[in-house]
Parts: sequence; C-alpha cells; structure tokens
Amino acid sequence: MGKELYMSVLIVFVFAKTFSQEIVTDTTRVTEMDEVVLTATRTARQLSSLPLPVTLIGKKNIIQSGTIRLDEILNEQTGIITVADESGFEGVQIQGIASDYILILIDGVPLVGRSAGNFDISRLTVGNIKQIEVVKGPSSSLYGSEALGGVINIITEKPKTETLSGSASYRIGSFMQQDINLDIKQRVKNFRYGIFANRFSSDGYDLNSDVDGQTVNPFENYTLNARIYNDFSDKLSLFASARYYNQNQEAGFTLDDTSFEGDSEEEEWNAHLRFDHDFNTKLDLEYELYYTNYTATERLVDPISDDVLTDSNFDQRLLRPEIRGTYIFKNESKLTTGFGFQYDELDRTFFDETVDFTSQYGYVQYDTDLFEKVNLIAGARFDNHSEYSNQLSPKLALRYKITDRIAAKASVGYGFKAPDFRQLYFDFTNSAVGYTVLGYNVAVDKLNELVDQGQIIEVVVPVDELQDPLEAESSIGYNLGATYKAPKWNAEVNLFRNDFQNLIDTRIIARKTNGQNVFSYVNFDEIYTTGVEANLGYTFRDFLTINAGYQLLYAFDKTKEDQVNRGEVFARDPETNQTILVERSEYFGLVNRSRHNVNFKVFCDIPSIDTNINLRLIYRSKYALFDTNGNGLIDDYDTSFVDGFVTTNVSATKTFFKNFDLQIGANNLFDYTDAAIPTLPGIQLYSRLNYNF
Amino acid sequence: MKKVILALTIFSFFFVACDSDDDNGSVVEPIQSKQFVNLFAPSTGQPGQEAGPFTKFDFETGEVTTSETDWDIAFRATTIAVNGGVVTGTVDEPVRNGEASATIVNGTFASVTTAEGLTFGQDTDGGFAIPTGSDNGWYNYNFMTNLVTPIPGKVLVFKTRNGNYAKIEILSYYKDQDNTQDSRYYTFNYIYNPNTGDTSFE
Repeated sequence: MGKELYMSVLIVFVFAKTFSQEIVTDTTRVTEMDEVVLTATRTARQLSSLPLPVTLIGKKNIIQSGTIRLDEILNEQTGIITVADESGFEGVQIQGIASDYILILIDGVPLVGRSAGNFDISRLTVGNIKQIEVVKGPSSSLYGSEALGGVINIITEKPKTETLSGSASYRIGSFMQQDINLDIKQRVKNFRYGIFANRFSSDGYDLNSDVDGQTVNPFENYTLNARIYNDFSDKLSLFASARYYNQNQEAGFTLDDTSFEGDSEEEEWNAHLRFDHDFNTKLDLEYELYYTNYTATERLVDPISDDVLTDSNFDQRLLRPEIRGTYIFKNESKLTTGFGFQYDELDRTFFDETVDFTSQYGYVQYDTDLFEKVNLIAGARFDNHSEYSNQLSPKLALRYKITDRIAAKASVGYGFKAPDFRQLYFDFTNSAVGYTVLGYNVAVDKLNELVDQGQIIEVVVPVDELQDPLEAESSIGYNLGATYKAPKWNAEVNLFRNDFQNLIDTRIIARKTNGQNVFSYVNFDEIYTTGVEANLGYTFRDFLTINAGYQLLYAFDKTKEDQVNRGEVFARDPETNQTILVERSEYFGLVNRSRHNVNFKVFCDIPSIDTNINLRLIYRSKYALFDTNGNGLIDDYDTSFVDGFVTTNVSATKTFFKNFDLQIGANNLFDYTDAAIPTLPGIQLYSRLNYNF
Repeated sequence: MKKVILALTIFSFFFVACDSDDDNGSVVEPIQSKQFVNLFAPSTGQPGQEAGPFTKFDFETGEVTTSETDWDIAFRATTIAVNGGVVTGTVDEPVRNGEASATIVNGTFASVTTAEGLTFGQDTDGGFAIPTGSDNGWYNYNFMTNLVTPIPGKVLVFKTRNGNYAKIEILSYYKDQDNTQDSRYYTFNYIYNPNTGDTSFE
C-alpha cells in the first residue's frame, strides 16, 4: 500500500498539469490523490480501473476552458453532444440516445423538471463543481428509471483547508452576458462548510431577423448552494446541502399580428441530507434523504387588451429516502446494496388534478478482482412502481488487464424509463388547429367524454387495446472497448450498441368531426443506436496536452428500416414532385443524430509566464430536424437538414500577483450561425477576472 | 381560376386493352395520362369547419365542372369527396347522384398498374371514402413547417360514376407547386382509362 501511495503521488505530480486523464496504478482501492469516480459503482473507484466507459471532467479543465454552464463543457467531450429539440430546449445526447433517457444527478441525487422529456442542462452552472462524471450506457442497475443512455453526476467540492478559502469572479461577454461567482469554503476542526452563489444573465440574441422576437430572450438566473459537513466521530459524519435556482426570462409571442408579452420563470429547490456511518472496518453505511421541487410558470398577455394567451404552470416534487451499505470482504471485493422509496408528484396545466407515483426499490452490486487481471462488476436493481410493471435491471461488466498498458473492457446492462406523467395524464387540445392529445391512463375516459359531446367520427383503435398498462421504455446496452495508457500517450476505443424497445410515441386513436385527430401514447417504436467512439491523448513534457475524439453513430428505427427494406416507403422527387421509392441507403436515420462527431483540443501551460492557453474545435456532421415530406422518417429528400459545422473555442488565462486570474476567450471564434441551430449564437467574446483567496 | 391541362398521350400501352377487347371487336381507346395544374379548392370557415362549395372534377372531360351530376370527385380544402354514397354531414356538400367510389393504394404512381382486386368505398354519413385529417388519407400536416404535404406513395384510385377507372397522384397543395404560395391549389397527375370497365392503367 505504501508503495502504491508513493507511486500515485509521484504520478499525480507528473500529471498534475494535464487535465483529464487516468492514473496507471491498477487496483480497486484508491487514495485521495487518484482520479476517483463515484458514479459508476456508487463507491470510490479509480477511473482507469473501471470496466465501464466513463468520462471524467475535472475542475481545472472547466476553468481553463472558460465554460460557465454545463452544456458548454459537456459538448466538448467525445460522444456527448448537446442538441436542441423541436421545443428549442437544449438537452444532452450520449451514444445517440436522447436527453429523455439520460439521468442528471448532483452529488448522486437526481434532478427533476423536464420539458417534454428534455432536461435543459444549461440550467446548471459549473462554478462550484469539483468534477463531472459521465457514465455511458445503461446504469439502471444502480439508478433506476431514466438511466438508459447514461448518467451525468455533478460532484461538488468538499472543503479541505482550515483557512478560509474561496474565489470571487466576474465575467462579461458578448450579448451582455454576465457571470458572477462567489465561492467560500472552510474547515473548522470537524466541521466544514461551503457557500456558493452565482448570477448569470444575458440579453439574449437573435438569429433570424425575419421572425418577430429574439431567438433567445433576455434572462437572468441565480444559483445558491450551501453545504455543511460534520464529522461527529471517526464513525459518523454528516453531509447536508441546500440548493436554490431561479431564472426569469422575458417571453413573447406574436399571433395574428398581436404581440403577447410576459415572463417565464423557473425555480428549483434541492435539499440533500446524508449520514455516512463507518459501522466497522468492513461495513460502511449511508443514510440519505433527498427532496426536490421544480416549478416553471409562463404567462403571456396582450398588453393592450389584457387577453391572456398562455398561463401555464408546472410543479414537480420528489422525495427520496435511501439507505446504502458497502461491505468489503477480505480479498477487497465489495458488496454494495441499497434500498429506498421514492415519491414523485406533479401538478401542471393540462392535468385534471395533481398526480403522484410511488416506488420502492432495492439494488445489489458485487465488485471483485479475479486472478489479479480481471475486475468484475455484477449488479441488479428491482423497482416496484405504482403505475407500471416491475422492472429488474441487471448489469455485468468486466475489465481484463492484458498488459500494464493495455486493458479490455466489456459490459452489458439493462436500462428503463418509466412512462412519465405527461404520457399518462395529459389532456390537451390545440386551440388553433384542433387536435387533442390524451395521456394513456386518462385516454378512455376522456375519449368517452368527447364521444358524448359528439366530437368523434370514429374511434380507430379498439378500446380494449387502451386498457393494458403502458410498459416502461427499455434498452439493452452493450459496450466493448480497449484502453491503452503509456506515460505520454493514452488511447481508448469503445464500440457500443443500444437496443431500445417499447419506446413510447403518439398514435391516432380517434378521428374528430373537425377533421383532426385524437392522439394518445402507445409502446411501439424499436430503435437502435450503434457506433464507435475513440479518444487519443498525448502529453508532452507536462506543458502540452493534445486530445482528439471521434464518434461514429448509426441510429435507426427498426420498424422503419424494415419498411424501407420491403420497399414500402416513398419520397418525392424534388424536381417533378413525383413519388419515388426510398432506398435503404437513402434512409438517413433518427432526427437530430449526426453520423460524425469530432473534437480536437490543445491545452498549453506556460509556467514561466503564469499563462495557459487552449484551442478547442468541435465538429458535428449534418443532421435532420424533422420529416418534411410526410413519409414519417428522415430520408435524403427531406429539406430539414442542418449542415455540418465546426465551432472553434479559444481561451487564455494569465495569473497575476499569485491570486488573480485574468481570462480572455472567444467561443465560436469564426462566428458560425444558422437559424436552424437556435442554441448557437455568433461569436462570443468574454473576459473574466477571478480572485482566489 | 387559372387552368392548364397538359395532355400527354401514351401510345405504348395498347396491348393490355387489346387482349380483353378483341372478342367484341370494339375500338380500344388509348389510356389518358395527364396532369391537372392548380385546381383551386377554396373553403370558407376555419380548418375543421370547412364550408362553401366543392370544386368538382370530371375524369371523362378532364375538366373542372359546375354540373350537379356530371362529376366524379370534388375538392374543398384538404377534403376530397366522391360522387357516390351519401353526404357525410358537413355543410355545403354536393348531392351524390352517381356510383363513383375510391380507395388508396401504397406505391409509386407507376407501380399501380391495375385497379383489379381493389376494394372501393363510397362516402358515408360516417366519413369520406378518402379519410380526412393529417396522416389519415392523402396528406400530412407538418406542425413545424405548417405545410400540407401529400404523403408520398399514396395513390388514389377511383371508379368513376360511369364505371371507368382512374388513378391520381397529388403532387402539391400549393399554387404552382410552390410551398411559399397560396394553399388549396391541387396539382395532380392522373391516368384515366376511357374504356368502361377496363381496370388497367397501362
């Protein structure tokens, strides 16, 4: 152990200036110096020893890159892209899997508040983050619902020093973007605390002057976080965190020459309480209680007539107590187990009443080293839910150390996503067009009401088909990869495939007298995403780090692929408007998926002048936004393709008088814009002054 | 109403018709393959509560008509009626006095070579033979672009009031096939077999 610690310290020293890579020592036991990942196993594990595909982003990388919101930094990682869906909300896509199926955690507890399934990750500031851990592939064996495509866990920093330390920073940039941070941390004997405050505001921007209103309206938001840690004894310690987020954004909408104005407001509370109990040297226990509340409201009125166009609200709460334990066997194998209860409640516009779900769950995971060269993790979780059938989510992962430098990894896991509140309880009729969308659980009753009102011509789905409960969406994910790690070089390649079934989508259940349809949700889609991701890193003499990443992605709907193969899908020749057959090679795949994603990053430290500079290039090949020719899939004849593009980000930081950092930078240096990419403004210049104390 | 008829006479399709008509020695007329440009199908009232007269079309003449009886199909906004069956119950519908009927076949226009074996339907008090609404019948309404697009691969096959067969491929719902212009202008290719009872389209 002493030798390992020495090795670790030495290596950490050597690599201290690099920003994201791994430690060579190869054991499941870790020291505080190592790059430790918590998310993959719910125990502290060294990044390089894990049998799963994991991306770790450290604080130094975040600060040097000049990123301030979570979407910016994630978008620069291989195989992780941020995309805006039709609603304009930006979510994260991992291995081609949409935001709906990716779980977002802070310190291991989940965040709620999604808009049509999309989690807007720009909601999260990166100002007080120690590191971001991204586990790719299904992780429902530990985390339950939503962890199909991966888990993103934001880890906050635990105060270490006895003296008061912290930082204060101010950044100003294009579009009047202002970001202010204050972070204070201290340890007083057995008690530690951290206080963090952030204010972020922008005047927004407009990419399309032909359309009334701005692409992104002015907003300001605040994040406050207070954390305390107390060691009652060697055996028992406490962690408590309270987080508050509030955003106000101007909103406007022009309908029939009337300009409606108003605001949309988001508010979020998180309260997290955890006791860590070292029961004995073998057994560690954690008792956790978590509560969160997310609300979003929007009100648009005509300022002249006071007519209200929209007045919507969304109020979700989640309460979750959980107990976890890890038992360490003599051979250092670990058995991790936990059980918990979850209460989830939502009150929103277009729901008849507040609805709630309850679930109980338990999980177990065994993590062991076999024959010195093999690390094996086997686990499973069982979820019993009030609204859908029980889920058993197993996972198996293996790492084989071929040589000191080369290792192979393989894992297979099951992931699921429970039908969400909207899919079960929605009751919405579009006032302009006249179609109706009904949640699955209320569909029969609401449909009968519409029939009684004489609004229905024909019910096109047999009513008994609407009686069986909606199944959870699920996937099986496979990852197979290899890693290479040498003093200067590191490389990683990973093949992935995710097979989804029972995806929930809308279908027509009845036709209305007004010629429109009644839609409800049904399990029918089967899709897959498959591809390769590769990373290559090179470190030169501790001051230059070069990283290149690539993801190749194929994402298709299996049913539609079969239809294309059978010659049942048609498009229109753009010249003649005549129908032509869509060939398999012309079926492009799912919306919002790019075939190629590339990133290239150079970080350079120049200690002699206390300066670091970096250049990051991110390329995304063309992708399509929606079907335009009415055949229900994306083919080469559709006209909603967004051209491939590169964004170039640069920043430079110089340290003055030891404690001051001045950073200047440019995001989207070459000012690439496209009205079809609402989340990409033109060039954003910024400068930031940071004071460390 | 601007109206252009392009007649493309096809000479190469004689043999199918010849086989069936050799016995009685009657003259076999060539299949008519034409395009009708900008058939205007206006509607008053909101989407879903369409009103006003339908624009009627006669396959025999290949012309729009105002005749109460000599028409096969009729258009009002996205709705297509056939001269067969009964009124469905929307306002201002034409009286059905013929026995025309319709069906929808999936395929390219050329791949639909015959009406043989197809099941035809007429308008009923439950709805139109060509179902209305996005994705139910011939068109898709895209909420992103707010465009009505004829679903590719939907070929409308008709039996006319006189017992002839015809097939239609709607190319566009916009004037001059230009999505940026006014809607409710149908441009469609059609093939009409003038030999009564002959199901062939080639």
